[in-house]
Amino acid sequence: MTRAESPAPRRWVPWLLAGAAYAGFVMSLYLTFVHYRGYVSPCYVVKGCEAVQTSKYSAILGVPLALLGTVFFALMFYLGIGLLTGSRVRVVQAYKVLAFVGALAIIPLFLLQAIVLKAFCTYCLASEAIMLVLWVASFLLVAPELRAAPDARAH
Amino acid sequence: MRTPRDHLLASRGVPWIGGSLLLLLAVAALYLFTGAAASEPARTPPPGADDISFGPADASLSVVEYSDFQCPFCAQYAAMLKTLREKYGDQVKFVYRFYPLANHPWASITAKAAYAAFLQGKFWEMHDLLFENQKEWAESDDPRPYLDAYAQSLGLDLDKFHADADAQSTTDFIKRQAAEGKQGGVSHTPWLVVGDSVVLPRSLEEFDKLIQDAL
Repeated sequence: MTRAESPAPRRWVPWLLAGAAYAGFVMSLYLTFVHYRGYVSPCYVVKGCEAVQTSKYSAILGVPLALLGTVFFALMFYLGIGLLTGSRVRVVQAYKVLAFVGALAIIPLFLLQAIVLKAFCTYCLASEAIMLVLWVASFLLVAPELRAAPDARAH
Repeated sequence: MRTPRDHLLASRGVPWIGGSLLLLLAVAALYLFTGAAASEPARTPPPGADDISFGPADASLSVVEYSDFQCPFCAQYAAMLKTLREKYGDQVKFVYRFYPLANHPWASITAKAAYAAFLQGKFWEMHDLLFENQKEWAESDDPRPYLDAYAQSLGLDLDKFHADADAQSTTDFIKRQAAEGKQGGVSHTPWLVVGDSVVLPRSLEEFDKLIQDAL
């Protein structure tokens, strides 16, 4: 493939990835604060968050899933900034690997709510949707080095 | 062709500092947001003669709670309220009102059991048993054996307990309280009213302070 045939850079993709990761960070951080402050949240008439938040599956070895989500989304946000400032192969690869890990995590998280707890938490579903968006959109990422690689090698 | 935005993005440090500031902004905003205790004027009926209550009937301050026995957060508040009942039981009137949520399958049957216990003078004992053992009956396929066991442990007349729990008057009482709550703006449980303000204290200490300030 020559430089002329290489795919045009999609400039909106890094913005989408960084924005979605930021939204995920805010939601996960909210749940982390609620968890660590030891605060209790009310049971809403139509929502099932309380069943999910208070279940034994809300933490792994004492670490709340919300905190893991916060760290994950913060990493994805910084990688998104890395993509915005001029993506390198390593950044793109790291992004794709982490996005795939996030997508894998969706499966047990969703099944736990659907089958074991029989209740869905709005924040959890939104976080899972963002993970899915990050993973799908990561397929649109192509490092500039890879786009330019054939020409670069030719010179 | 590079745009001014491209230059800004390419300038070392600016996007990283901006991004970090955005994250810090979210941390600060959520720290403040999750730390704020809600408070608004109550629109639910004031305590009345037919309310299930604990404490002096002529107390200058009342704490009214709309609650659901299957609500996990109500169970956490029940523990706080038990402490507060013991501390302020001679100064404050604590009122319990039924607000069984439709998304909790055993909310209604446990509300009826609690009302049946009330008719035998053991409401608060049954209330505490239901909340303290919420996990065992809430996760069961049929809570009735647990309810019978609690009734027996409290020394209730089991036949009367069953008859009262199944009575239409019990259903009507619960439905009336829930309807009044809904009309008064109750959107979640527990819905707490201290004096004439709806509050949502986030801890026992905060709840205690609200009562002390109102006394």
